[in-house]
Formats: sequence, C-alpha cells, structure tokens
Amino acid sequence: MKGYLGQLGAVVRKDLTQELRTRQRLATMGAFTVLVGVLFNFSVDPALVSMQDIAAGLIWLTLIFAGVMGVGRTFSLEAEDGAFQGVLLSPIPRDALYLGKVAANVVLVSVVVALIVGVFGLFFQLDYGAHPLALALTLFCGVVGFVALATLFGAVTAGTTLGESLLPVLLFPLLVPMVVYGVGATNRLLMGRPLTEVEGNIRILGAFAVAAVAVGAGLFRHVVED
Amino acid sequence: MTRRRDVARGAATLGTALALLGAALFLVLLWMVWFWVPTEAVQGVVQRIFYVHVPSAWVAFMAFGIVALCSAMYLWLKDERFDRAAVAAAEGGMVFTTIVLLTGPLWGKIAWGTYWTWEPRLTLTLLLWFIYLGYFLVRQATENPERGKRFAAVVGIVGAFDIPLIHVSVLWFRSLHPQPVVLNTEGPALDADMGITIGVAVLTFTILFLGLMMLRYEVETARARAALLEAG
Repeated sequence: MKGYLGQLGAVVRKDLTQELRTRQRLATMGAFTVLVGVLFNFSVDPALVSMQDIAAGLIWLTLIFAGVMGVGRTFSLEAEDGAFQGVLLSPIPRDALYLGKVAANVVLVSVVVALIVGVFGLFFQLDYGAHPLALALTLFCGVVGFVALATLFGAVTAGTTLGESLLPVLLFPLLVPMVVYGVGATNRLLMGRPLTEVEGNIRILGAFAVAAVAVGAGLFRHVVED
Repeated sequence: MTRRRDVARGAATLGTALALLGAALFLVLLWMVWFWVPTEAVQGVVQRIFYVHVPSAWVAFMAFGIVALCSAMYLWLKDERFDRAAVAAAEGGMVFTTIVLLTGPLWGKIAWGTYWTWEPRLTLTLLLWFIYLGYFLVRQATENPERGKRFAAVVGIVGAFDIPLIHVSVLWFRSLHPQPVVLNTEGPALDADMGITIGVAVLTFTILFLGLMMLRYEVETARARAALLEAG
C-alpha cells in the first residue's frame, strides 16, 4: 500500500513541479478568471439584477470554463515528444497514474477557485455569508467531481484528432448534477440561509465526487492502453 | 468461419423479420391511435401523440442501457461483436431520442403553451441526446479505429452511471411534466383502451428497434469483413 501511495505521490509531484516551473496553466486559468470577472461586470446591469443573487451561477460556470481550459491540457503537454509513452512505460499502475493526475489537478483547480472567490468578492462586493467553511466544502466537493470526470475525458480527447475542443461536448452533459446541487447550495449560502438547508446538497456533491473518482479510476486503463 | 457466417446470416434474417413485424404492427398501431382509442377528455386529440412519444422515450433509454452493457462487455472481453451491438443500439437510440425531442415540444406547445421548458424529463432527454452525440464524435475522431471503439465505450459507461444522477438532480430542480400515468404506485390511472393502445405501442417500437438494431449490426459486420478483405 505504501508503494502504491508512493507511486501516486510521484505522479502528483511530477505534475505539480512541471506546473510550478512553467506556470503555464495557472497563468492562463488565472488571467481567464480575472478577465471573465471584468466581462461579467459589463454584461450585468446592477440596477436590474443584484450581483449577490447571481454570483453562485457565475462562480460555478467560471470554475467549469477555467477548469476545462486547465485540465484539458493535462495530457496534451505530455503528448508532445511522446513524453506520455515514457509515463506509461514506468511501472506505475494505471489507476495510481489517474489518481495522481486527479490529485494534482484538484490542487490546481482549487487555487483557481480560491482566486475566483477572491476576485469576484472584490469586484462585485459579495457577502459570502456566515458559513465560509460550508462554502469551501461545497466548492471543494464540486472541484473533485469535476476534475475526476475532466481528467478522464481529457485523456480521451487528447487521443482524438479533435483534441480539447471535444472536451466540453463530452463533459458538460455529465456535469448537470454537479451544477444543480453545487449552485443550489452556493446560492443558499450566499443568501445567508441556515446550514441545514445545504447539508443534503453537500452530501450529494460528495457522493458525486466519490463516484466520479471511482468510475474514472476503473476506466482510465481502457483509455490509455496502446 | 462458415459456421460463424451462418450465425451472422441468421441474425440478418431475424433482423429483417423483426423489422417487418415491427412495420406491420406500426400500421395496426396507427389504426388504433387514429380510429380506435377514445379521445382524452381534458387534453383532446393532441394527447394521441403520447402513443408515439412514450414508446420512443422507452426505446431511447432502453437502447442506452444496451449501449452501456455492450460497452462494458467490449472493454472486458475485447470481443468486436459487443462493440458492433453497442454502436447499432446507439444509432437506433439516437434516432428514437430525436423522435422524443420532436414530439414532446409539439405536444407541449398545445398543452403547456410553450415548445420548450426546463422540465426534468425534457432536460434529461436532451442531455441523453448529447451523450449519444459524444459517443459518435469520439468514435469517429481517432486515427486508430480500435482506440475510437474503446473511447466510445468509456463514454457509454460513464453516461450510464451519470444518467440516473442527472434524472434525480433535474427532478430536484423543478417539475412540470405530467406525472407517470401508467407506471405509478396506485396502478394504471388511464382508460383500459388507452392502456391497450400504449401497450401495443411500446411492443411495436421495441420490436422495430430490435429489428433495426440487428440490421445495423449486420452492416457493421459487413464493414469489418470488407476492411479485412481490403487489408488483404
């Protein structure tokens, strides 16, 4: 078991080191987030709608769009010069490879989500309510579920001739449950509703995340075998 | 080889027979829908679209079950026949999903006053259509056909896991669709003649789908054989 976790950790370390050295994905996702915030500012008339009322939807959609950008690049970076073949040749079980990539992407997307929450809070003067921990947990469960599916289908699209442009088509229909419960919970928290109203949503989001990781870990070896 | 070819020819014959039987039953169904079954008291004549809409929806979701099952078997056993069955079911399933999406709004415009609404079952069917689309897109977008088959199978399996979740989540979101009339806990709440008609309709569509699926399976087999001959 220690060996398995060690291998998983090696994948996480490799991906995060690569990201820390190039900062390519963080830079593009971060810039995207801030610029989307700027565009949202001009696309909503605050005299007609209150930003506080629609912030939950904006946060989740920005998470998904920025996430697709970043996670979609997971495999295309390694596709250059056949680097991924080297990764596949290493004696790491395929599921450990998948779980390592998911963990690294969760770290990456979590940083972006923190940026979204911070920047949108600043831009739109949002009040994040009395339960910041519940909000963080909601977003984190969403990030894990999203990353689990996006990493699996990122590997799929990296192997197709259409590349990353196919990722949203495969991913978005499957994300509906996450958006429904995630936005539902976030909305209630931003409205200052009591915790009991969002407990069920967070539990379902958690279950969605666990199921997505399990399905991804089971199917990943069928995506990368060749 | 000859024995396998005989089996294949048997499947083609059975497929043709089922498709013809389905077509014949369809004529009977049309007669029942237009002339035999009583008109629904509240909704009027527009309710008759129900006899096309409901069995199509049944077939659309049953087909996805076949896709997921055959996809899992394909990944497990690597037997080409399961992939052919999966793609045959997916193509039929997509056609019937399209029928559901066309007949629903026609009825909705009259009964609800709008072509489209974010009603849970409508939303679910639309997403099902897109999952089928993804299945075909990944299949065609690879240089190595074997890889395309594996990718499509992964889409089919993940879709099958997600569809119940999508269903629950969109139900939670809001509901406007008529509640189940036939399969509800207090027994069927509809007129006996309507019950018979919907029964015939479901049977007709299922047979028609299975016949079309088998014929499509044969096309896929012939295509594989042609590719093999071409490769020499």
